[in-house]
Amino acid sequence: MFRINPRIAALSLVCLGAAVAQGGDAIAPGGRAFFETKIRPTLVKQCYECHSAKSEKLGGKLLLDSRAGVLKGGESGPALVAGHPEQSLIIQSLRWEHDLEMPPDEPLNESVVADFVRWIEMGAPDPRAGDAKAVAGKDYQPGDLWALEPVKDPALPQVAASDWPRGPIDRFALAQMEGLGMKPTKDARPESLIRRLSYDLIGLPPSLVEVESFVADFKKQGQGAVARLVDDLLASPHFGERWGRHWLDVARYGESNGNDGLSRNPAFPHAWRYRDYVISAFNEDLPYDRFLTEQIAGDLLPADSDAQRDRYLIATGFLALGAKPAKAMNNNFAMDIVADQLDVIGSGVMGLGVACARCHDHKFDPIPTRDYYALAGIFTSTETMYGVAGNEKLTAPPTDLHTLKAAPNVKPPAGFVETVLVRESATGKLKPIPKSKWAPGAPVAMGVRDGKKPADGKINLKGDAKKLGEVVPRGFLSACDSVTGIKVDPKQSGRLQLAQWLTSPDHPTAARVMANRVWLHLFGRGIVHTPNDFGVYGERPTHPELLDCLAAKFVAEGWSVKQLIRTIVLSRTYQLDSRADGRTIDADPENLWLTRHSRRRLDAESLRDSMLQVAGQLNPSAARGSLIRHRPILVNLGGNLHQPSNHRSVYLCYLRSSPPPELAAFDLPDFQKSMGRRESSVASGHALYLFNNPFVLKQAERFAASLFEECGSDESARASAAIRRAFHREPRTDEVARAVQLTKATEAEVGCEKKALASLCQALLAASEFRYID
Amino acid sequence: MLQAATCGFGWTAFSGLAQAGLMAKPADLKPRAKRVIFLFMSGGPAQLDTFDYKPQVGKKPHPGSVYKFAKHGDSGLMISELMPETARMADKLCVINGMHADTGIHAQSAMQLHTGDRLRERPSLGSWVSYGLGTENANLPGFISLNTSRPTSYSSAFLPSIHRGTPIGVNGENMSHATIADVTGDHLPVSAKRRQLDFLQTMNRRHLADRPGDAELDGVIKSMELGFQMQASAPGLLDLSDESPATLERYRVGKQEKRIGTCRMSDFGRQCLLARRFAEAGVRFIELNHGSWDQHKNHRRDLEANCQVTDAPVAALLEDLDQRGMLEETLVVWGGEFGRPGLTPDNGKNETGHNANGFTFWMAGGGVKGGHVHGKTDEKGGRAVQGKVHFRDLHATILHAMGLPANDLTFHHAGRKHRLTGPEGGKVVKEIFA
Repeated sequence: MFRINPRIAALSLVCLGAAVAQGGDAIAPGGRAFFETKIRPTLVKQCYECHSAKSEKLGGKLLLDSRAGVLKGGESGPALVAGHPEQSLIIQSLRWEHDLEMPPDEPLNESVVADFVRWIEMGAPDPRAGDAKAVAGKDYQPGDLWALEPVKDPALPQVAASDWPRGPIDRFALAQMEGLGMKPTKDARPESLIRRLSYDLIGLPPSLVEVESFVADFKKQGQGAVARLVDDLLASPHFGERWGRHWLDVARYGESNGNDGLSRNPAFPHAWRYRDYVISAFNEDLPYDRFLTEQIAGDLLPADSDAQRDRYLIATGFLALGAKPAKAMNNNFAMDIVADQLDVIGSGVMGLGVACARCHDHKFDPIPTRDYYALAGIFTSTETMYGVAGNEKLTAPPTDLHTLKAAPNVKPPAGFVETVLVRESATGKLKPIPKSKWAPGAPVAMGVRDGKKPADGKINLKGDAKKLGEVVPRGFLSACDSVTGIKVDPKQSGRLQLAQWLTSPDHPTAARVMANRVWLHLFGRGIVHTPNDFGVYGERPTHPELLDCLAAKFVAEGWSVKQLIRTIVLSRTYQLDSRADGRTIDADPENLWLTRHSRRRLDAESLRDSMLQVAGQLNPSAARGSLIRHRPILVNLGGNLHQPSNHRSVYLCYLRSSPPPELAAFDLPDFQKSMGRRESSVASGHALYLFNNPFVLKQAERFAASLFEECGSDESARASAAIRRAFHREPRTDEVARAVQLTKATEAEVGCEKKALASLCQALLAASEFRYID
Repeated sequence: MLQAATCGFGWTAFSGLAQAGLMAKPADLKPRAKRVIFLFMSGGPAQLDTFDYKPQVGKKPHPGSVYKFAKHGDSGLMISELMPETARMADKLCVINGMHADTGIHAQSAMQLHTGDRLRERPSLGSWVSYGLGTENANLPGFISLNTSRPTSYSSAFLPSIHRGTPIGVNGENMSHATIADVTGDHLPVSAKRRQLDFLQTMNRRHLADRPGDAELDGVIKSMELGFQMQASAPGLLDLSDESPATLERYRVGKQEKRIGTCRMSDFGRQCLLARRFAEAGVRFIELNHGSWDQHKNHRRDLEANCQVTDAPVAALLEDLDQRGMLEETLVVWGGEFGRPGLTPDNGKNETGHNANGFTFWMAGGGVKGGHVHGKTDEKGGRAVQGKVHFRDLHATILHAMGLPANDLTFHHAGRKHRLTGPEGGKVVKEIFA
């Protein structure tokens, strides 16, 4: 398409000597960034279709997918003259000047052309390797990304204060501090430690009795007492509720699809089974490699019993409960499902964002589009079963579900009538609910199974399922080349091999990512601050050797999450006080170097659970099923579906686009994507919630009522008991006096003793001491 | 540079310590405006039938304006017959006809307009303004977004969350009931609530005193006070019953009776009146939403409806601010994520698409020239050819009006400095300032 223009050809000959900025290290960072943000995306999107090694028909014998290709040029000569945009063929053609008009359909936005002009003025910095004849291949250096280096079990560093560390964790932390001229603060008091451990391990506060008994124990036996407490907490059924909830964030768990873009939000009435699976997996300390394998390929595992088979099938719900855009008018729907699956495995399991590579080679991370479609082939060979999608075909065509064998049939309660009706999409008129293929209450589960004809997939050019490129054999990330010998079985989808690949002890990121998650939930900040992104644009680890030490230990000890938690919380580093002297805080304001323990706000679930607990209202048993069970409806037509419940928050109904109102104010994610680290904000909206939300008011009332029962008419006894219950410590004299003053004055004003005491209880539930963990 | 100038030890240390940002901070440049009211016209308003007059030239019919335009005010600004009320305020308007953007995809372009980035969640313009300047009042949030449906448009992303917009109302729902969650509760009289808060704050201060140097706990104490004040100030501000019938009529509050085509019920009159009230109360950045201007197949009917329901309220807002002496210190910005190509007169067609290569914004107040036109598009109105203004330039210009150096207002996140105007930086359109 490029025709020879003698004038340009002549000019380019004259300027052949002009140096073009070379790839790799020779490029100034600014030049590289400019190329990556401005030039490469346009080349990929606008030019590669005809001018790359992967083009079906190469236009004008010009390759624009490598630096060498650009310099060599095509039929019309070199594409550019570095430093001289006006003499560069590519600029002439982008401007549609003369007879060179590119791209052929319509000229690019002028600002884009201006970017090319500037790029050439800068000397056309271009980091792309490969020669002009290059075909698809690796476009990265393995050393480019720390996270892809194999995990090394590092040697322990030397420290000056050699009597301080209790074990390897402390050695690594202290060595880092000493190197920076810092010192750890003192050890936490036992009162703080039990509260911290209790929240961190089971998400609930200890009672005053538990605190007192631990403090006494600790004074006698020190770390022996801590170890016993930790073992008790790890064995509690509440452990799985706490740590399962952390995983449900990663798994972007939701009980409805969320807005499909057309305001429809189909329920997932069976998603709760996956929730229960996750909770029990953490309680049983299912090895993490096994946990991943069951979620990715449970349906392909041999089972000894119906119950085990049920459990494996339910585990695959992990891949089926993603948020999808509507099917209507969406050619890419099938690939949207695959994209969600790759995203949750990429960000959630590997700590690498693969999503960019759906449309173009990842700009920063070593993930070429080829790899994306190698992985995608595994999931296009898989059938995803999300159910009937609210009986609305325009949002998603109905699919089968796994039928369970051992799980009981739970019929809807007598008199259950669904009030949410199905409407014609076009007219809004009511239509009958289609007959379900399952009997009412039949045990079914969301999940995946292998498709009928597993096959390799084709690259979707620019992510468009209608523009197909070459076939890519199913496989894994080429950049993770430390894992060898695992190949997709062509007769299967390849999920089982994917799981084997991810959980291979040689996989560079899977263990690191999980070890970092565990650390994050215990310290409030990960060793890598971006738990879902270990890529080039994620944060670097603050303590890389410590992370490797944990990851290596995690794998060596059979991928036991409980064991990893135990090791960490028994370290002296974890058990530091949250207070430190001003010099330390000034030197390490964000506590990157672990000089102290970071004080943390309770998350949404723990705050609600604690309020219920303190008010004596918490129902500690596991809730059964879900509010949305038996209701294959469009949530958006259902009004407010949430109902009051006294079970732990993990059992509330996590509808996407309609989160539980008792949790929504406190940085609850939207669960559209895998979430590694929740925000922990301070906002006036929290204050409003604590002042006026009906849930809080109700707990304050119940709290007060229980104090009347306990202490009768003795005002100061009631106030003391309230403070003891809320803060699990003995009240101070002046506190009791002020509390009595508050209730007396309020009672005098509103003429109601109960209301007055409730206002004290509410204040305690809203206090920083209640809502922050030292 | 601004980081160091506005607070002793740099914003990096404050990341996550939200409340610290509440203090009003001195502006670095000469501020022209104290606040912004952004009238976001979602969907791509048809500039050629509103503010960018393109008559037919030559013999061959071509796309252009299909409604009548006339000169208005002393300045003789050309405004279409669809905006008769706004036209009365012609001498206050500074029309920017050379806008251009990178994409004609709604979601991406709207996101770029709000945050500077098309794809990734980034802090929105209002959050940057709040971050740069802090709030002017202790009783209300610094950034309020009315009738929106895009959380990304009021997200503070990696900026401290105190700079996140407070949403009121959802696009397409009844604005007359829209409010802030849990803002009222009548379980106790205010005096008893105050007593309760005093007790609580004493506990909190004691808790903080035992934990010196914890800026977040200090932030909690401030946010409890702000929340308490909001209970008193926000419901009153949202309640329009103290406005005169004449004012309600002038703003056309509650006058839109039904949805017409793409034109949704947004009660734009209520939004405009609320915006004035929030502006008076010292809210730094107020965004209003109306849509959708994406009138593909029924261009004329839907455009007429969109103009009709927004024209009088917008004019009332400008006039009211002016009469109260507030317009000079309030930058009002009108525009959408892109524009539309014109219809060709008399060819029977009534369908338009998207055009990001040339479209219109206007500003008023905040030190901009009134009755002024900046930039132009080509003869068919399809492409900006003179005085071109990209979204990043628009951002730079708005921040400049607020006294903030756009390209130096940065926040350190994920290993590098970020700014609203992105890696390229934005160019302040200095010519539009008086």
